[in-house]
Amino acid sequence: MSLDTRARQHNAPPRIHPNYPRRMRLADSLQILAVVSVALVVAVFLADGGAARISTPADAITALGIVTGLVGTDLLLVMMLLAARLPAIDRAFGHDSAMALHQSLGKPALYLILAHAVLLTIGYALVQPAGFFDEVWIMFSSLPDMPLAFLGVGLLIAVVITSLVIVRHKFRYEVWHLVHLLSYVAVLVAIPHQLSVGTLFREGSLQRYYWLALYAGVAGSIILFRFIVPIVRSLRARLTVVGVDQEARGVVSIRLSGRQLRSLKAKSGQFFIWRFWTPGLWWQAHPFSLSAAPTHNSLRITVRGLGDASSALPRVPVGTRVSFEGPYGLFTDFARTSPRIVLIAAGIGVAPIRSLLETATFAPGQATVLLRSSTVDDTYLVDELAALCRARGAELRIIAGKRAPGTSSWLPGDAVQARITLATLVPKLREADVYICGPRKWTDEVVRDARSAGLPTRQIHFERFDW
Amino acid sequence: MRARAVSLATLASLSVLAVGWQVGAQANASMQALSAPQAAPATIPAPSAGPATPTPTASAPAVSGPATVSAGSTAPAVAPAPAAPAPVAPAPAAPAPAARPTGTFTGSTVQTRFGPVQVSVTIANGTITEVTALQLTNDGGRSVAISAQAAPILRSEVLSAQSAKVSNVSGATYTSKGYTTSLQAALDTAGF
Repeated sequence: MSLDTRARQHNAPPRIHPNYPRRMRLADSLQILAVVSVALVVAVFLADGGAARISTPADAITALGIVTGLVGTDLLLVMMLLAARLPAIDRAFGHDSAMALHQSLGKPALYLILAHAVLLTIGYALVQPAGFFDEVWIMFSSLPDMPLAFLGVGLLIAVVITSLVIVRHKFRYEVWHLVHLLSYVAVLVAIPHQLSVGTLFREGSLQRYYWLALYAGVAGSIILFRFIVPIVRSLRARLTVVGVDQEARGVVSIRLSGRQLRSLKAKSGQFFIWRFWTPGLWWQAHPFSLSAAPTHNSLRITVRGLGDASSALPRVPVGTRVSFEGPYGLFTDFARTSPRIVLIAAGIGVAPIRSLLETATFAPGQATVLLRSSTVDDTYLVDELAALCRARGAELRIIAGKRAPGTSSWLPGDAVQARITLATLVPKLREADVYICGPRKWTDEVVRDARSAGLPTRQIHFERFDW
Repeated sequence: MRARAVSLATLASLSVLAVGWQVGAQANASMQALSAPQAAPATIPAPSAGPATPTPTASAPAVSGPATVSAGSTAPAVAPAPAAPAPVAPAPAAPAPAARPTGTFTGSTVQTRFGPVQVSVTIANGTITEVTALQLTNDGGRSVAISAQAAPILRSEVLSAQSAKVSNVSGATYTSKGYTTSLQAALDTAGF
């Protein structure tokens, strides 16, 4: 793919966003760091003579058990870093991709930890010799800190299983979040047995300091970027609701006013996780994208009363204090790689598209906005979009119409029959960055269409805020 | 991940693993070199397998030398010598040889889940001067490594504490327990 990039550099017009290679270098470095961190714990085990000591099958099983525990725990720490809102990770991958990676590591990490427990029990049982369940009891009752370690495994199983089940059945976000917090407990209660039962991290050894430094680094990142930074920013910005404008039935734009907002370095297209401090809303925090370019003293979001929290938002009183985490996300001009831009929105996904259109870099005639809806009236912020398109020389197309039942296209049924695709809708699509925001399934279909039109991954941008 | 990132990550990981392997191999070689002389004395007392067989090594010079030292250290301020050891030993005259045993005493073999542990203790005139591990947990390479690591720590702890009541070496709980149990048995036979 990198070869392809270089070839295009010579033929295509000069790239308008030189930060793409810089971002990719950052992404590469972070990915390499994550992979090497796994190799490093295995190397620590080898350096301690872990492999050279193997002489019997029981040794081999025990050694494998130790390695799976080390790698599994390292993956757990990587997962926690991915969810820690590290600025570097957000800048390189975006919140969405980071969380997708976090999610995909969950099961492998659990399997490794389970393998760790099972293999070590078998390895110890062979040496004893004892039956598997006898050995479990022996470990539980006689090895130091093992009850806590067993608790950790139990919690981890509970967290992963409930995560899968809850995501599948769309439980309340708060329930999922509470269960998820248990994973921090699971990771913490596993620490004592790592230091006391195994000899790898024995007192005074270099690897013990490395291992503890890993934990300290992850814990520090979580505390700093998930708690301290949002609290400090919220206190400094002093955001309050200054206006609630009805856009359509159940859809409102909330105007917020604050101070020193430049220091947030928020960009059009990004989202914050908001908390409105009213009696009914303060306990819920929800992600909403900016629907207008941020200024030094104002922000605006546009929300639809969908979930439990946002249904009460249209009635949020003026003067309500607002705290926030963010800004997050790579759904911005920062991620651009090409001179042209195509913005595609459906439903309330129009919000970040609207703010992007306001500030994205493009010459007149180089931008296309596609607004997808079931009926012509079923669109939000259309007047603002039309005005912006006129002012900036962008083309606005509203694609209304029901999808044909049983088909999987993001376009209306008649458009599909007429063999209309993204490539036929947008001239010079190959020279454009495509930004897509809408419901999850619809987004997937647009992405598929863009890919089949030959667009490389780096030119397709989408972000989902469903957790 | 881009191809470049994949290849760099693979390269870096492999080199890290190679370094780890190399260090491990070296550490293991040096550990075997260390444990070899430790194993040697362990086999020598084994033939004199009788429990609590006092070996008559250096008993005569040891009596005069450490005796004065220990007397001075136990009762530095108290002038009457026979009165001072009274709280320690029930009878002043008769248990004197028992209270200051000399010789090498072998402890019982303690079975642990990682194998048998047995130690012998050398006492010179009431002072523990040496603890030798005759058998250490040896089932599986991991246990050997743990034992090899724990034994010197336990030995120095015993020598400074002058008793079998020392704390377990973390990570070598079984070895520690077997070690101290066997040692206590040896000390009991010695009447220490």
